[in-house]
Amino acid sequence: MSWWVQLIACFVAAASFSVLLHQPRSSILVSSLIAVAGYSVFLLLNQNTTAYFLASLLIGILCESCARLLKRTATLFITGGIIPLVPGVGLYNTMRHVVEGSYHEAVTVGVNTILGLCAIALAITTSSVIFSVLRPKQRKKGTA
Amino acid sequence: MDAITTTLDAVCLASEMILESGGETYRAEETVERMCQGLHVPRVDVLALPTGLMLTLTTEDGSNVSRLVRVRDRSTNLERIDQCNSISRKVAAGEMSAREALERLREIRRPQKEHRLLLIGASALSAGSFTVMLGGTWADFIVSFFCGMVVQLVMPPLSRMRVPTLLSSLLAGALTTLMALVGTLAVQAVHVEPVISGAIMPLLPGLATTNAMRDTMRGDLVSGGARIIEAILGVMMLAAGIGLMLSMWGGIGA
Repeated sequence: MSWWVQLIACFVAAASFSVLLHQPRSSILVSSLIAVAGYSVFLLLNQNTTAYFLASLLIGILCESCARLLKRTATLFITGGIIPLVPGVGLYNTMRHVVEGSYHEAVTVGVNTILGLCAIALAITTSSVIFSVLRPKQRKKGTA
Repeated sequence: MDAITTTLDAVCLASEMILESGGETYRAEETVERMCQGLHVPRVDVLALPTGLMLTLTTEDGSNVSRLVRVRDRSTNLERIDQCNSISRKVAAGEMSAREALERLREIRRPQKEHRLLLIGASALSAGSFTVMLGGTWADFIVSFFCGMVVQLVMPPLSRMRVPTLLSSLLAGALTTLMALVGTLAVQAVHVEPVISGAIMPLLPGLATTNAMRDTMRGDLVSGGARIIEAILGVMMLAAGIGLMLSMWGGIGA
């Protein structure tokens, strides 16, 4: 499959996943576009742990900025935006190696999967901390 | 006394609905504090947990009103969180009274007509598209599409029958794997890896993980810890379901 088919699939997948979580219609387009942006960065950066971190950081920052701009909560965008990065392949491959009895590979893939998850969590937290540090300025204006 | 009861009702309902819809506990707490500020309650103490909520309002004459709310059913509904959030903001800005807020919240809480077909379609389409996104072919897309469809057909009845969520993740993992493996038997061109990986993506506890991190970072260690365990157990059960079915299939095949 060529890269643009993958990116369109990414958009459709993120959008329909958002429908599944009862996301308000008006926010689905934005969160799915954020998902595509994050996933393309992930593909460009060789799909390693650093790529997980940087792509999620981009998603986190985009989500928090959209939340400020559109006056919605960031959770709305993050849930749909981060889903393409969740390492489902890693989880499946870990289990396949466990079942086949090749525990060495299972540990390698498993640790990589867990590291990926940690990187995503760390990046989302980082972006949310950055924005909550910036928040007091907004409160003075009386918008918070 | 009556005014404070209405305030208590409105505040509790808003916060309870946020917890029920999978919102962060700090958001539930903030909602209570924000609403009480708008309704001129001098002091409020609130502790929200993923499974319950307790709060005490102190009135102007110095008496206390407390309430404990147990939250049992939790699912993900982002729209509800959004609606509660905007109502609480209106109350905080003084644009809405406690009685109005209570009425609006009760309206939102009324069970809405579930678009089951839409949900089934969304689940099928997202499973299929994730498979293509992960490098699957169009044959893989079709198999994964049916995996997503069947999972969404099976899961809601299970949760109505009060099957524990963790057990239903195990079943969902096993079911997805079984369908993918049957798909490879039917069509030789199907690849198992992208099909299973794509079909389990919507089942992974993504919201629980992000909320766990956000709660932990805010210093809500009890809620954060509880949610991290919830997420880890969810992933482990899903993985166990996949592993179980793969090894059973291998046993039959060999």
